[in-house]
Amino acid sequence: MAEVVFRRLLATIPVLLLVTAGVFLLLHLTPGDPIDAMMAESGDAAAKESLRRELGLDRPLHVQYALWMGRLVRGDLGRSIRNGEPVLDNVSRRLRPSLELALLAMSVSLLVAFPLAIASAVRHNTTVDRVGTTFALFGICMPNFLLALLLIFLFGVTLRWLPISGYLDPLEEGWAGLRSLVLPATTLGLALAAVVTRTLRSSLLEALSEDWVRTARAKGLSEGAVIYGHVLKNALIPVVTVVGLQLGTLIGGAVITEYVFALPGIGRLVVDAVFARDYPLVQGVILLIAVGFIISNLLVDLLYGWIDPRIRLR
Amino acid sequence: MAGSIPESGFAERALVAREPAVRDRRWDALRRAARARLAPFGAAVLLAAIVVALAAPLLAPYDPLAQNLGNILARPGRAHWLGTDNVGRDVLSRVIWGTRVSLVAGFVSVAIAAVAGGVLGMLAGYAGGRADGVVMRLMDAVLSFPPLVLALALGAVLGAGLTGVLIALGVVYTPTFARLMRGQVLSVKTRDYVDAARALGASGWWIARHHVLPNAATPIVVQASLSVAFAILAEASLSFLGLGVQPPAASWGSMINAGRGYLQQAPWIVFGPGAALFVTVVGLNFVGDAIRDGLDPRLTR
Repeated sequence: MAEVVFRRLLATIPVLLLVTAGVFLLLHLTPGDPIDAMMAESGDAAAKESLRRELGLDRPLHVQYALWMGRLVRGDLGRSIRNGEPVLDNVSRRLRPSLELALLAMSVSLLVAFPLAIASAVRHNTTVDRVGTTFALFGICMPNFLLALLLIFLFGVTLRWLPISGYLDPLEEGWAGLRSLVLPATTLGLALAAVVTRTLRSSLLEALSEDWVRTARAKGLSEGAVIYGHVLKNALIPVVTVVGLQLGTLIGGAVITEYVFALPGIGRLVVDAVFARDYPLVQGVILLIAVGFIISNLLVDLLYGWIDPRIRLR
Repeated sequence: MAGSIPESGFAERALVAREPAVRDRRWDALRRAARARLAPFGAAVLLAAIVVALAAPLLAPYDPLAQNLGNILARPGRAHWLGTDNVGRDVLSRVIWGTRVSLVAGFVSVAIAAVAGGVLGMLAGYAGGRADGVVMRLMDAVLSFPPLVLALALGAVLGAGLTGVLIALGVVYTPTFARLMRGQVLSVKTRDYVDAARALGASGWWIARHHVLPNAATPIVVQASLSVAFAILAEASLSFLGLGVQPPAASWGSMINAGRGYLQQAPWIVFGPGAALFVTVVGLNFVGDAIRDGLDPRLTR
């Protein structure tokens, strides 16, 4: 196992190098002068020159890259142009709301998807099943921002049960904080729930048609013991894969969700940085997100081999 | 999963994961019947969307940009079927014009990705060795970014406007097609008839055109048809965030964003374009599924 991990880590090195090069070049894709783009409103030529020197944009490209990589290796991701603080400080301040949102959304999705998928598979081809499959289809085709606005319209504007935007930390504000996260977590969670429901349902159906299910029933196990003791465990493997495959979509969904509900998380930080043309901040945050994404994909890959010994990574 | 750009990569893992389990045949037949019923609906939606997009100037009852400050936030009624927005523009007319943006975004970005990915995949598969390594690591690098985040960054850097979004989405979807094409090339390359063609003196280019492309066309078309719906969702998400077609021009995503401040007084500003977007994406999904089943039953899950 250790060797597998080591080899997978080794394989990510060239990809990481390309990712950093891509993020570095991002700034240079701007049509025209990036400094003009960043300081569009300012006519101050001296300020532009000093920013150009600070970012090293007056040097040749390869020198810039070497300097940038040198700082990166030392853990220096640069500074935001807008607030002058290091990128890492900007990010760490925004980490908690995003993690809370992710955790709650994950709980919502499992709470919705598991009962629905199990009911759909067990009561295959009944009304329950049709509700399950329709939900899955709608969830997959429904854009995140539209679902968010539907929920806001229903529970925030019409029924007035829940706050429609803003964020209070549940760890500090308790109940009020949790309430502020209900709609965002539901938005993000339902989207994931749709995918999980669809996958789990079809893998349950496949598992249910296996011979060992007949054996388990024949030896007198109750239907519950068959489903929860045998079938569910075997049907979980594709779910892990699909959740892994959906990670990127999930991060994108979190960006939109944080934007709609004005949650001060990483996703909101990306959008704000993009529209403020705070390119060093954009570069830093995107690099961090990409690295996080690569690491979680690696973990899913390894988890996969661990869950199902039949499919070990070669 | 919606609202953002769907994960397109890591397809290999999904393939490894699928086990050759015994299929419930009745279930398969039922599903096919259900899809057969849904496919005409999907086709009708797609056709309607294309007609609406082409005939937008004829169909739209009002100028989509004409403001009427004396008639803002008007309820849906006989004069304005979908009501008016916060500056008195006709929502229906804007939804109709927005159809153009959505369809162009969906089809053009996928076309960019299919061509770019196809060429890169063929290059990688044919050349092998170092070129293969470089191209595929490059594709891995693109896949290392969450799609929406990458598109957002690219779109922002390329500048606001539809072109930037089209290129950004094209880049995001390219690796899927590159991997697909490379796999096809690798499998076709080892066939006997290719050896035969080579022995007869056929050039690499000739083999590519006569053997590899026809074989690879089916999976590429299937992937493309499934990607269009997601690309439309992605464009709507980006224009919801403020990239893409710039105001006052109408696109579904930006209309929804503009309307979200008026959910209480005028929910129709959001729900008009929202319904159009949702129905289009559902319809395109049905069409994509039908094309997949029709062209290649092996790809059915």
